[in-house]
Amino acid sequence: MNARYIGLIAKKEFLGLSSEKTIIFAVLLQVFIAMFSSFLMVGLTAMYDPEALEGYSTVAYGVGYAGADSALIDEFEKRDDLVLHRMDLSAALRALRDRKVAAVVYVPDTPPDAEGPVAITLYLIQNDLQSSVINVKVKEVLQGYERELREVRADRMVSFPVGLNFPGTGDAESFYEFVYGLLLPLLVLLPAVISAALIIDLITEEYQRQTLDTLLSTPVTFNEMIFGKIAACWAIVPVQAGAWILLLEANGIAVGNPVPILLHVSAAGLFLILLGAATALHYRERTSAQFVFSTGLVVVFLLVMAIPYNPLNLVVRLAVETADPVHWPILLLVSGATVLLALAVAAYGRRVGEVSPATAR
Amino acid sequence: MSLASSIRTIAVWEMNRSMTTMGRNVLPLAVGLLVLLVLVTVFAAESGVHMQDGIYRIGIDEPEVARIVAPDNRFTVEVADGPALWSNRFAYDIVILRGEVYAADTGKGRAALTALKRDYEAYASQIAAEQPDLFAGYPLWIDLQYVKSEIDFLATQSGQQIGAPADAREPPIPSGPAEAVTLPPSAIQVSEDDLRQHLAGMESDHPLSRYTGIISGGSATDGLRTPSQLSPPLPYDALILVFVFIFPLYFTSQFFMMSVMNERVGRAGEALLAAPVRPSAIVIGKAIPYLAIMLLVSAAITLFIGAPLAILLPLIPVILFFLANALIIGMAARSFKELSFVSIFFSTLATSYLFFPTVFANTHVVSIISPLTLVILELQGEGFTAAEYVYSTALFFATSAVLFYAGTINFREERLFSEKSLTSRLTDFIAGAIGRGRPHLSLFLLSAFTIPFVFMAQMMTLVLFFNIPMPLSLVLLTVSAAFIEEVAKSAGLYAIASERPGFLTAKNLLIGAAVIGLGFLAGEKLLLFATLSQITESVFGSVLFLSLQVLWMPLLLHIAGVLITGTFLLAGGKRAYVPGLVVASVVHSLYNLHFLLGGLL
Repeated sequence: MNARYIGLIAKKEFLGLSSEKTIIFAVLLQVFIAMFSSFLMVGLTAMYDPEALEGYSTVAYGVGYAGADSALIDEFEKRDDLVLHRMDLSAALRALRDRKVAAVVYVPDTPPDAEGPVAITLYLIQNDLQSSVINVKVKEVLQGYERELREVRADRMVSFPVGLNFPGTGDAESFYEFVYGLLLPLLVLLPAVISAALIIDLITEEYQRQTLDTLLSTPVTFNEMIFGKIAACWAIVPVQAGAWILLLEANGIAVGNPVPILLHVSAAGLFLILLGAATALHYRERTSAQFVFSTGLVVVFLLVMAIPYNPLNLVVRLAVETADPVHWPILLLVSGATVLLALAVAAYGRRVGEVSPATAR
Repeated sequence: MSLASSIRTIAVWEMNRSMTTMGRNVLPLAVGLLVLLVLVTVFAAESGVHMQDGIYRIGIDEPEVARIVAPDNRFTVEVADGPALWSNRFAYDIVILRGEVYAADTGKGRAALTALKRDYEAYASQIAAEQPDLFAGYPLWIDLQYVKSEIDFLATQSGQQIGAPADAREPPIPSGPAEAVTLPPSAIQVSEDDLRQHLAGMESDHPLSRYTGIISGGSATDGLRTPSQLSPPLPYDALILVFVFIFPLYFTSQFFMMSVMNERVGRAGEALLAAPVRPSAIVIGKAIPYLAIMLLVSAAITLFIGAPLAILLPLIPVILFFLANALIIGMAARSFKELSFVSIFFSTLATSYLFFPTVFANTHVVSIISPLTLVILELQGEGFTAAEYVYSTALFFATSAVLFYAGTINFREERLFSEKSLTSRLTDFIAGAIGRGRPHLSLFLLSAFTIPFVFMAQMMTLVLFFNIPMPLSLVLLTVSAAFIEEVAKSAGLYAIASERPGFLTAKNLLIGAAVIGLGFLAGEKLLLFATLSQITESVFGSVLFLSLQVLWMPLLLHIAGVLITGTFLLAGGKRAYVPGLVVASVVHSLYNLHFLLGGLL
């Protein structure tokens, strides 16, 4: 294969990308997503880790308390973000419906050392963001009460957990795992997925528009054409991933080891692009190729995520600076697999390009 | 041929063509991939997700304590003696020495501490569950009850935010007489064995069960839990529905999009266009198989999760909307990569339009903008009224109809096979809707037809800015609403100016502006009348739909806006369009603010 021809084809594809302004759509899309970023942050964190919501709210909430006196009242008094109002159950529920209180607890007159459990009833507003916040706060209070009850009933226990003394509750860090453990790997791998879908469009278009003849009547061979396209798609992967990393840095999210991260992303990205190219060469028709590829992508991602030390995990470890040097041999392994796949695609391309231009024409 | 029979012919032909080629090539591999998917899912369930392995380092001086974090892959554990750990403490995020936990004073250290606390909770519950006396280990049980409460859309006007109650310090005074409620029983109604089973079940629960639980019902012990099992309700359960219902629809509409695109690739559709059938028959015939598939898929999902079939009703307009957009995108995209990017962009927009309103599930009027809310209501067994159905689906029906109409009249050779860029093709589509014989009547109708799109875009901004504190949300809403309206009004003018530059004279501009303003007002009135009365009563409503109060003022404003943009177009050509839009939007916003705040001008 002639490197100069590959470069020429890659350049042609770049020009096509910029003249069609498709890249503007990609940017628009990202700006649109950025517009919702604060929303997404709250929303996705809530999906991922609902308890993180607690940090969001700094106001005090009223809680209606009905029923018998109990040590639970003291537990509530320890907190300054929950204000207890003692009231009648029916009045309390009415107030809850009016949103004058955020939750209602009803406590029966079961003594703490009774044989049976203390069964309290907690009323919350259905399907509401506020309920999720309240739920977390009340949970902490109830856990305190549970500890107390366990102490009262300690003589009935046969084994005890090892005691741990946690430092005084500082600010809980809610976004750390979401940002580093989910957002970052997804963002840096997104360009690889986009490029893999792009290569399918580029290759199937040559077949379906029957522009192959014109291309192949030049000194460019079939495989040079394919790998020129692959090169164009691959080149934009680290650029976009790097841009995401810079953007995260600009937002105060420090990303460790950016260079190794980009190396991992590039290797994995090329693998996906080659997979896309192979699918496109097989089907030569966009609908089928995209359908099979996107289904295949789900399989690949599920499989990869289930393996320890997968590239996504390595990106996370590198970003938080807990990676062992073992990531280098893994990079080598992924690169090796990618090279093998490239050789296979080249062999397939030679077969397809030599045997069937007649059918392609 | 009659219209009905030609539609049938085209539909059968489309069905045969796409199904056979797709079937022959894709089906074997798709089945193979499906089998692989099942295998991989089983493997993934066995092995767990290894995304966040080893992000924290923890140093522990006792092997007994190390048991606490052993099941958690996030921790890389090192067990060493105390002094060694202490001297090397900065290498760890957390160090535990003789039962004392020391966390690094960084974001990561605090995150690790949170993770450790949860692990400790799980460990403590495990010990408690081993107790022979269940109620010594778990002395406290909570019966969780949900109360329905809807808030008034007007609440945010008084500066109240949805997230927080007004003042918690004051004792609450119920607004009305409280109806009597029966006190909950003081003893648990469930046997001890059931509770033990319930505990064991919770232990082995897959994290996904929280999500699947939304769709399927709960068990008898549902509602009863220990404090550590108290997990917050998922605030955005609608997102699951998006995954379950909307994505299959989106994928099927992709096939339709591609089928339309394929007609244009290499002028393949020339024969079809030459056939003695009307374009409307071609478009409808091609769309029907996909419509049927989408309905079948939705019905299958509905039956699978055991939900009432009434769910399909709100999904129909969504399906039509997807198909209409697929038609336009398939007709407008120049290349496959453009098709990919535009369709991804569209799907993001559409998904957010469907999803974001449902976040405000308690603010009825806002949430019901999205037909998905109706699906949720139906799933919760509450159902929806006919008025609510009209309210939430009218825009979808209207936009789909307009888009299908635009697609049909442009389904002609010179439009389909031209090689122009995306924006100029869309401009062509609009220009195609403007009749040569009666341009003014066309402009009038065109601007009336843009109303559903304007409303959709404005609804989106309403949902976006709704919960921002008061003055800012109003300003943002005013400016964006004005901009959207000006774009919509000038679109026809822009299209006609680029297709027939000679048309745009001073006289035609004046008449054009007048009919556009009239058409816009007429469309606005009509649609408002049909749908949104509660929103129009709030402050937000007066921003969006100011024109309802007095008639001639908004008419003048609409005309003035078009005139400004038109004058820019007339004087500076197409380059001056954007500056003209900006000036018109500023004028429009100032007018709106003047009416809102009173006497700003």
